[in-house]
Amino acid sequence: MSGSGNVRTRNESAWLLPSDGSRVNHRLRADMRTFDDAEEVDLVVVGAGAGGSVLTQRLARRGWRVVCLDAGPFWDPDSDWVSDERGAHTLYWTEPRQIGGTDPVPLGSNNSGRGVGGSMVHFAGYVPRLHPSDFATRSRDKVGADWPIGYPELKPYYEHIEHELPVAGQRWPWGDPHRYPHSPHPVGGNGEIFLRGAKAAGIEARVGPVAITNGRFGNRSHCIYRGFCLQGCKVNAKASPLITHVPDALAHGAEIRPDSHVSRVLLDEGSGRVTGVEYHRGGVLRRQRAAAVVVAGYSIETPRLLMLSTSRAFPDGLGNRHDQLGRYLMVQGAPQTAGRFEAEIRMYKSPPPEVSTEQFYETDPSKPYRRGWSIQTVSPLPITWAEHVTAQGHWGEVLREYMRDYVHWATLGALCEFLPLAGNRVILADETDRHGLPVAHFAYSMGANDHALMRAATESMETILRAAGASEVMTIDRYAHLVGGARMAATAADGVVDADHRVFGVPNLFIVDGSVLPTQGSANPALTIMALAARAADRMVAIGRTTSGTGTL
Amino acid sequence: MIYRSPAQRAITPQHRGRFPGFDVVERADDWDALTAGTVLARLGPAAATVFFTETEAGIAGALLDRLLAQDGEPRIPVLALIDARLAAGETDGWHYDDLPEDGQAWRDTLRYLESDASSRYGTGFAETQVRRQTVLIQQVQDLAAASECWHGLPAERVWSLWTRYACTAFYSHPWAWNEIGFSGPAYPRGYLNPGVDALERFEVADHDDVDPGPFADRVERARHRHLEDQP
Ligand SMILES: Cc1cc2nc3c(=O)[nH]c(=O)nc-3n(C[C@H](O)[C@H](O)[C@H](O)COP(=O)(O)OP(=O)(O)OC[C@H]3O[C@@H](n4cnc5c(N)ncnc54)[C@H](O)[C@@H]3O)c2cc1C
Ligand code: SF4
Repeated sequence: MSGSGNVRTRNESAWLLPSDGSRVNHRLRADMRTFDDAEEVDLVVVGAGAGGSVLTQRLARRGWRVVCLDAGPFWDPDSDWVSDERGAHTLYWTEPRQIGGTDPVPLGSNNSGRGVGGSMVHFAGYVPRLHPSDFATRSRDKVGADWPIGYPELKPYYEHIEHELPVAGQRWPWGDPHRYPHSPHPVGGNGEIFLRGAKAAGIEARVGPVAITNGRFGNRSHCIYRGFCLQGCKVNAKASPLITHVPDALAHGAEIRPDSHVSRVLLDEGSGRVTGVEYHRGGVLRRQRAAAVVVAGYSIETPRLLMLSTSRAFPDGLGNRHDQLGRYLMVQGAPQTAGRFEAEIRMYKSPPPEVSTEQFYETDPSKPYRRGWSIQTVSPLPITWAEHVTAQGHWGEVLREYMRDYVHWATLGALCEFLPLAGNRVILADETDRHGLPVAHFAYSMGANDHALMRAATESMETILRAAGASEVMTIDRYAHLVGGARMAATAADGVVDADHRVFGVPNLFIVDGSVLPTQGSANPALTIMALAARAADRMVAIGRTTSGTGTL
Repeated sequence: MIYRSPAQRAITPQHRGRFPGFDVVERADDWDALTAGTVLARLGPAAATVFFTETEAGIAGALLDRLLAQDGEPRIPVLALIDARLAAGETDGWHYDDLPEDGQAWRDTLRYLESDASSRYGTGFAETQVRRQTVLIQQVQDLAAASECWHGLPAERVWSLWTRYACTAFYSHPWAWNEIGFSGPAYPRGYLNPGVDALERFEVADHDDVDPGPFADRVERARHRHLEDQP
C-alpha cells in the first residue's frame, strides 16, 4: 500500500455517504455553499466528470473557492436511476452530434455521459493503469507520440486514486507491477470461462482491476452482483465521482451547479486572460466570473466549447492558434467476441467487469504491427446482445433464435491501442442544438496498424473461447473510450496544453479531462484521467504560489 | 403482490421460448418502485401513434413484424414504443453525417420501402404478401452487407437504424425476457448464484438447448432462395 496514506484524511467521501440504505447525503447537498454569478471565484470548472470532480475536490481542500458547472443533473441514485437497460437512457449525452469518416464512431450510450459524475456514472468499472511504455511510444516504437511527462510523475497519483475508489483485484504483473487495496471479487459464469480458456491457451489472466469495493469502505455498500454497472450503480458499490469525490468537495466548500450548460469561455482581449464562463440555466443565459477556468467536458464537448469561444485573438477557437484543437482524437478498437457453450453462462449475473489480461499489451517485435491490446470480460445485457446478433446479419426468426440462446454465451472484449491521427477530429457541424449552438461533428478513420490490431485481438479472443470449449464464436467490431482532442505536448505547435494542463497562449485556462491524452495504450482511461486531475491540482497550486502570492491563480 | 389474470403470466411473444413457465414479472415485488414503474409501464395499453402518419405506421408495422418475426399474437407493441420514442425526440445522441436525424430518416426510409414495393409488385408494402416483404427487406440488408447505397442512403446505416430501434424496443419488454430466460431488474435483490450452470431459485433452465447455428443457416439459405424465386 505504498503511497496510499490514510485515505480518509485525504478524501472523506465514502464516510460522508449515508449509512441508512439511502444513497445520497441530502443534508450535505442542502448545506452546499453557493456563490453569486457576479462574485469572482478562484476557479470555474466546466464538467463534473472523472477529471472535473477530482480537480474540484482537490482544490476545494486547498481552500480554493470553486464552482463546478455540469450540463446534466445532480443525480440521486435512489430516485433517478433504474435497474433496467432501456431505462438508463437518461444517463447519456443525447444532445445531437454528427459522426463521419470511414469508420464512424457511435456516441451516446457507448461513449459519453452527462450529469454530476460524468461518464463514470455508467462506465463499466475497469480501472487499469497505463504502462510506462505508453508515455513514450514515439521514441520506443516510432508510432504515436511522446508525452511531456512520464509514468513516474503519475505513479503516486495512480496509487492515491486506487485507494480512493477503491480498486479490487489480484496482484498486477503487467506494466509497472503493483497490488490493489481490495482483494478480487468472486467471478460469475463469464469470468469463469475467461479464466478457464486463458489457462488452457497458456495466456495469463487476472481477476480485476475493478472500481467496486470489496470490503468495508466508509458507508459504501457491497456489490450485489446484479450486472447493471453500465446503467449506473444504484447500490453505491461501483465508484463514480458522484460518490468518490463530490461529497468531499462539498464538505470543503465547493459548489456543484448542475443543469448548467456552458456555451462560452469568456476572454478579456486586453489582458489575454479568461474571466469566467457564459452558461444556460433554466432558460436564462448567465455569466459566472472566475479568476481561472478549467474545461473538463470530455473529448467531444471540450474541443467544441473552445471552438465556440472565438474572439479576434482566437478566430478559430480559444487556444487554437496552431490548428491542434479537436485533433488526434482517439478511440480504442473494441471488438467483442462471444462464444457458445452447452452449459448456461448467464453472463448478466455479475458485474460485467471481472477478468482481464494485458499479455498482448506491448509491441511484439515479431509482428508486423506496433503496440497491442488488452482483453476483458464484457457481459452485454439483452438489448446490447441483440446488437451482437444483428451485426452478424441475422434478423427475423434467426435473430429471435439466437436471442433465445442468450444464456449459453460468454463474451470477451478487447481494447486495441489505435494510434493518434491528425485527421481524426472534432469540428463544428452545420446543425445546431436546443441553445442554437453548432453541434460537434466527429470524424474517425482507422489506419493500417489499427486494422491489423483488430484482427489479431479478435483471433486471440477466439483462441481463448475455443480453448474454454466454445462450439461457435461471433464477433462484433466496436469502439470504446474517447480520449485526446486537446492533447498535452511539449510545444504549442504539437498540442493544446502543456505539461501543467495549461492551454498554450492563455495563462489562466486549463483542460483537465480525457481530451489531454496524447496516447491511450490499451487501458481503460478513467483511472488515468483521475490521476492526471489529482496531479493537475498540485501543479495549479504550484503555479498559483509563484504567480499571485495568494496561492490561487 | 400485483394482480394479474392467469392469462397474463409467463407470456412470451408468439408463445415462443425455451424456458417454460419462466415469468419475470412474478418477481416485481422484489424490484424497487422506480424500476418497477418503468418496466411495468411497457405492459400498459399501447398509446395511439402520434409520430408516424397512418400510412407510415402501416409500413413501419409490417417492417417491424418482419425484422422481429412477430407473425402473430401475443405481440410486443414495438411500433407504439418506437413511435413514442420518436415523438419525444429521444435519439441515441448521434446520427451519421450521411443520414438525416433519426425521425426524418425513419420517414424517408419507409417511403423508399413503399416505392420498392410498388415498383416491384405494384402494391403498397403493408398490403403485399409477407414473403414479398421479406424479399424487399432482404435486399436492403444485402446492400448493407455489400456497403452499397439504397435510394441514395448508405444501406448499412439504414439497416443499423431499423435494427437498433426495433431491438431496443423488443428486448426492453418483459415478455421478451421470458422468452430468452433473462431475469430482468435486480435491485435490490441481486444474485446469489452467479457461475456456470448455476441458477437462482426463480430461474428456469433452458429446456431446448440447441445451437442456433444450423437453424440460422437453413433460414438464411431459404431467404435467398425466395429472393431468386421472386420476379
Ligand atoms: C459505456 C461506457 C463504459 C465505460 N467503461 C469504462 C471502464 O470500464 N473503465 C474506464 O476507465 N473508462 C470507461 N469508460 C470511459 C470513462 O467513463 C471516461 O473515459 C471518463 O469518464 C472521461 O472522463 P472526463 O472527465 O474526460 O469526462 P466525463 O466523465 O464524461 O465528464 C464530462 C462532464 O462534462 C459535462 N459537460 C460536457 N460539456 C459541458 C458543457 N458545455 N457545460 C457543462 N457541462 C458539460 C458532462 O455533462 C459530463 O458530466 C466508459 C464509458 C462508457 C460510456
Ligand atoms: S453489479 Fe455490483 S457494482 Fe455493478 S451495478 Fe450492480 S451492485 Fe453496482
